[in-house]
Amino acid sequence: MLLAPPRIARYNSPVPPVSQTIRVKVLFFGRLKELTGHAEDSLEFADAATIEQLFAFYAARHPELAKYRSSVVASRNQEFAAWDTPLRSGDEVAFLPPVSGG
Amino acid sequence: MAPLPHDDIYQLVREPIDMAALARHVRAPEDGAIVIFDGFVRNQSRNRPTLFLDYEAYESMALAKMREIGAQLHEKYRIHRVVMVHRLGRLQIGETSVFIAVSAPHRAAAFDACRFAIDTLKRTVPIWKKEYFEDGAVWADGELPPAPGATPRAKPAS
Repeated sequence: MLLAPPRIARYNSPVPPVSQTIRVKVLFFGRLKELTGHAEDSLEFADAATIEQLFAFYAARHPELAKYRSSVVASRNQEFAAWDTPLRSGDEVAFLPPVSGG
Repeated sequence: MAPLPHDDIYQLVREPIDMAALARHVRAPEDGAIVIFDGFVRNQSRNRPTLFLDYEAYESMALAKMREIGAQLHEKYRIHRVVMVHRLGRLQIGETSVFIAVSAPHRAAAFDACRFAIDTLKRTVPIWKKEYFEDGAVWADGELPPAPGATPRAKPAS
């Protein structure tokens, strides 16, 4: 699957450059889980991609998801992450609706 | 962040919360005050009678965030022990969903820390509740946790 034109995450990391397969685990919670029909997915892609591009990939499959983009935050490896965060193989990305614990 | 005192408790549980035992746990001879927050299921939401609630969490991250809040409490306030427990699964009206207890030598720090803890938990810990009514169910309106903005490091290097 091609998410986007190749883009290299050139920061301090041992991650191999483009053209390496990147595999990420993706989690959905709350209404996002209901919308996509799954709590967990595993995705493999050939090019560097960001969290934003990952979300867009799922929004293309589940158009209702796009409506929630502005009320979703993302996390990468259990830390809140910016949408332009580049993904690395082995990452666990989660899409989180507004939290309502308590 | 500094390591948490080993006698703090941070938990996600699926059974009723034993509040008396947890309150005893934070109480120590060198303390002079305990402040407790007991959050429980209300019987209505915007004047619609609630039947029950279902809570779910991103458990690994929720626990990490709860421990982060604990570390902040110890940094910011002169407190002794912290207990922070959130229950998941189906909860009936009146059942405790979140329990926080903070002990301290003096009351002001315990009040401030307990307030900071519940406010921060509600804003940043990935837990969600679905409210069930006679005529359907909705995910509760929540708060969007503050997420980092655009990452400068993601820009292509020149």
